Amino acid sequence: MTALTLSNIHKSFGKVEVLSDVSLTVEEGEFVVFVGPSGCGKSTLLRVIAGLEDATSGTVEIGGEIVNSTPPAKRGIAMVFQSYALYPHLTVRDNMGLGLKQEKQPKSVIKERVDAAVQMLDLASYADRHPSDLSGGQRQRVAIGRAIVRQPKLFLFDEPLSNLDAALRMNTRIEIAALHRKLSASMIYVTHDQTEAMTLADKIVVLRDGRVEQVGSPMELYNNPANRFVAGFLGAPAMNFLAHGPLPVADGGTLGIRPEHLRLTPEGRLTGTVTHVERLGGDTNLLVRTEANEAITVRLFGQDSTEVGATIALDFDDHAAFRFDLQGQRLR
Amino acid sequence: MRKHENSPRFRWHIVVFLAPAVLVYTAVMIYPLFNTLRLSFFAEVDQQRVFVGLQNFHRLFGDAIWSNQFWNALGNNLWFFLIHMLVQNPIGIALAAILSHSRLRFAAFYRSAIFIPTILSFVIVGFAWKLILSPIWGIAPGMLDAVGLNSLYAPWLGKEEYALTTLSLVSVWQFVGIPMMLIYAALLSIPEEILEAAEVEGITGLSAFWKIKLPLILPSIGIISILTFVANFNAFDLIYAAQGALAGPDFSTDILGTFLYRTFFGFQLQLGDPHMGSAIASAMFLIILLGVCLYLFGIQSRMRRYQF
Repeated sequence: MTALTLSNIHKSFGKVEVLSDVSLTVEEGEFVVFVGPSGCGKSTLLRVIAGLEDATSGTVEIGGEIVNSTPPAKRGIAMVFQSYALYPHLTVRDNMGLGLKQEKQPKSVIKERVDAAVQMLDLASYADRHPSDLSGGQRQRVAIGRAIVRQPKLFLFDEPLSNLDAALRMNTRIEIAALHRKLSASMIYVTHDQTEAMTLADKIVVLRDGRVEQVGSPMELYNNPANRFVAGFLGAPAMNFLAHGPLPVADGGTLGIRPEHLRLTPEGRLTGTVTHVERLGGDTNLLVRTEANEAITVRLFGQDSTEVGATIALDFDDHAAFRFDLQGQRLR
Repeated sequence: MRKHENSPRFRWHIVVFLAPAVLVYTAVMIYPLFNTLRLSFFAEVDQQRVFVGLQNFHRLFGDAIWSNQFWNALGNNLWFFLIHMLVQNPIGIALAAILSHSRLRFAAFYRSAIFIPTILSFVIVGFAWKLILSPIWGIAPGMLDAVGLNSLYAPWLGKEEYALTTLSLVSVWQFVGIPMMLIYAALLSIPEEILEAAEVEGITGLSAFWKIKLPLILPSIGIISILTFVANFNAFDLIYAAQGALAGPDFSTDILGTFLYRTFFGFQLQLGDPHMGSAIASAMFLIILLGVCLYLFGIQSRMRRYQF
């Protein structure tokens, strides 16, 4: 069954069009990530699905029902906000239970579901504390718990990790992935972080300026980007784009080569001078200025002794290079 | 030598920076306060000021002529306060809740219109309402007549049973803008995302107000209550402007402020007595102090401050 179907969604604020003609589907149990730079409309799209904003035109279908004029609470969704948005005056337990209480669920049901969520999220020792007594990571878990107890058809996450520090972010990312496996619920997750997108998603939706650029599995998008924007957005370090590359491209077009597909060779089609070296232990990134005066990044696996100022030669396999035309469309 | 170097130097700059505020505050607040307290222990005997200990207070609470007036004024004052708490503050909160609704048009206009009476002088408000409610030249009887409710009209300011309530409501009309503004600001500081999270859970409209907004503005309501308490027990101007220092009819609108004024400065046939006046002022000070302490230690300390 299809968890969510969006058909031709348009959304404008006054004269500004933030979403144009967005259509996509989310299958039952699928983890879909909306990714894009800030201002691309990904959060607005999530809010349209939640019902916090109305689409200017187009239809939103959740679980086979058109919900355009259904209030958020009746859409069978639950949302986790960027700022957690916990109720500051309620304890962890009451934060999770308030929505169920509003639905007039019997007390025993509320207790049962809240207890299960508290157990699942390892919050037992904090259950009677207020949000202000919790750390960022714990608050995040309470916010997720508040979503779980609603037993929604569809989970919506709005940049849930952006307020956490790097170490915690990785842990929480893994917890969210584990949660998805355990609940096997449909989830939509908005982020601007391509790592989160790549690691969590079954399906990535890349958005730019309110339009869907490409939809596909992480590896599909990585191996087979539809255009220069998607190619440059996914993968770290970002793909190199050369206007004066060693392979012929269309007029004004560019050649795209991922940093990890370049290799040092005694003789190569690209030569240049190393301007900076980043040694990460497991990887070494070389920033190189080519003879055509273009900056490129080379990702070498393992440790490398190349020094700044060295002149190096690089090569790559032709099938690993992408060609883009003047408009950024992929040429095959 | 080392010990000398390590011993903290007296930090003169702290004294220098504090001095102006301390001096001004002492001159206009602390000195008069303590001088009033001191004055309440004296009396004038044969045109000589003599120390009489607690005799003034003994007279105030023991002599029926004084104590009846005092308890009457205190009782009236409590009623005055009660009306403000039960009418002014709930209406202020309701207005703020309505004004903070994003779909209300002309919100800025209503906000200013409701707040304007607050900046008017008591004299204007007291006199204007006296004219409005007057049975002879007032527009109130005419307006009630126009809608066929003439039978409801009574000379509210002239009847013992209504006068105090009427004046309390006039004061409510004048000052309802203050709780409204404070609560309005508190409501605006509630993050949008919390309300949206509630909306996703179906908590909207009135239940959002009772379950989310009201608990979050409780600290502000506490502040408003204590401000109302202090202002009401120090009130004087409106009663004086509307009813005069005799707080008529038959002292039915007499509150502590007007009682103090008559005693201290004298009025008509009553001679001024600064020492008895100081005793009343001291009693007022202690009542307010007690109220504020009860609030600070009993309520405020138990209230949670919410950081968003």
